[in-house]
Amino acid sequence: MFGPLGPSLAPTIKANRGLYKIIKPFAGWYADLMGYRRMGLKYDDLLVEERPDVQRALGRLTDKEQYDRTFRFRRASQASILHADLPKSQWLKPEEDTRYLTPHVESVVEEDSERQVWDTLAVERKK
Amino acid sequence: MLHGLRALTSLAPTLPNPPFTMLAARTSAVRSASRVARNFATVVDTAGVKVAAVDNGEATSSVTFLVKAGSRFENKPGVAHALQNFAFKSTSKRSGLATIRAAELYGGILSSALSREHLALTAEFLRGDEEYFVDVLSSFITSAKFTRHELFESVAPVCASESIAAASNPATRAVELAHGLAFRSGLGAPLLATEHGHVDVDTVKSYASSVFGKGNIAVLGTGISQEALTKLVEKSLGSLSTSAAPSASPSSYYGGETRVDAHGGAETVFIGFGTTGTPSTELAVLAAHLNPQPSVKWSESTSPIAGIPIGASVQPVYLPYSDATLFGLLVQAETTEGVKAAGKIAVAALKDASNIKAEDLKKAVAKAKFAAASLVDSRSGIVSVLGSKVLAGASASVTGSISALDKVDASALARATSTLLKAKPTYIAVGDIKTLPYADELGL
Repeated sequence: MFGPLGPSLAPTIKANRGLYKIIKPFAGWYADLMGYRRMGLKYDDLLVEERPDVQRALGRLTDKEQYDRTFRFRRASQASILHADLPKSQWLKPEEDTRYLTPHVESVVEEDSERQVWDTLAVERKK
Repeated sequence: MLHGLRALTSLAPTLPNPPFTMLAARTSAVRSASRVARNFATVVDTAGVKVAAVDNGEATSSVTFLVKAGSRFENKPGVAHALQNFAFKSTSKRSGLATIRAAELYGGILSSALSREHLALTAEFLRGDEEYFVDVLSSFITSAKFTRHELFESVAPVCASESIAAASNPATRAVELAHGLAFRSGLGAPLLATEHGHVDVDTVKSYASSVFGKGNIAVLGTGISQEALTKLVEKSLGSLSTSAAPSASPSSYYGGETRVDAHGGAETVFIGFGTTGTPSTELAVLAAHLNPQPSVKWSESTSPIAGIPIGASVQPVYLPYSDATLFGLLVQAETTEGVKAAGKIAVAALKDASNIKAEDLKKAVAKAKFAAASLVDSRSGIVSVLGSKVLAGASASVTGSISALDKVDASALARATSTLLKAKPTYIAVGDIKTLPYADELGL
């Protein structure tokens, strides 16, 4: 809940097919409305990265993913300087908005919580 | 790690040499060595996996999964080494952290060792914990994840530091180089990954899937009953796919000379000869004959190499593989003059070995027998000596190889020595290459 990804109702909604069908068009519309795609960014570029676990996840990206991420940031900051969105041809298409970082963050969080469990384990003698 | 240096140290065991008055008692002990040698239970084929176990009532047990996955079979340099260090990382059953922490709670030791022909995954543990540890070993075989981040975060740094450590040891480096020159491909492939080698996860994954198959794995247990181990292996490896043994072209011997600059370590020269075919017992006797290590501390040995200058050392290197043998003398000294003097004596002794006296032969045979028999007393020795026999499905005991040593006579030794010396020598100099002797300067 309080991980780097923040609270989310998405898993609950995705589990319910009917609810998912209703919510999905709104979700797509809302994501477009956020405007990050107009800056050529992906949703995962917006994750708060000033955390040790996300930093570790960033270290697990392939060279290509890391390069592309940096390229998107530079393009977006240039757009920000110009106070303008990118030309429409360079907007990120919804199908390109992939979660390239989230799986890594999730696995890092899982590892950290597993370590926490082992670190605070109470060992009982076998009966 | 089972690489060069380990192999060298195991070649030069300290031999008991009781005072002269006890000689009679000693020879009778040598004679009965074949009887007291530890015998393995017969090898059982469990669902396609060879299992052998011996229980001598030890307080702890050990289980080794021996896989034919040494550097000899790798399709890209360093893959076998990466696979070795991927052992006990995350599998679909448990994460790497869980493996380590649970092993700590059980009080067990997990280790992996790589040789040119085999990858050994070993667990040592208290009696009664075999179910967990066999599961740890078999889950690596059946369901290792080989994640990219583990390769970069923990496997590759370990590989790199192991290669750096090996490269900074002149003896290990000389033996590594000797393998490359002697056998070129196959056995000549470097044991460890190079410092800057690039091994990616997919290569490791495909190598693992090619070697982890039934018929390519043997399970050796000590301190555990054959039935218990068989049952556990059947349960955990029963679903493993049958894969053909990785292809390895038969070894051929080439030989050659190389000189590598190094500083900081001892000046080192390796004079080697190779043979192909199954390792002959005569070379083991020859190694024992030449071994200048005294049997009693601070005494002088009666080996023909005993006259080397103080501060220099000569170690016979006898490395038998399934279809080839590398035999050689590792000459080390603080100064290049010492290497030159010791090297001359060593080469002269090697050439003179065909004129061995009857009593020297007897001594050498006894030494070789002791070395072969005492190797089986240690757990790592059991794996290195009997592992390949278990893999081949042959009866796993050393009695045969020890009694074969008895049959070595002077003419057989002379024949073996002369065929050995006929081949082109493998000559490696590591250290101050400007002043280290060339092969012809030592009389080769």
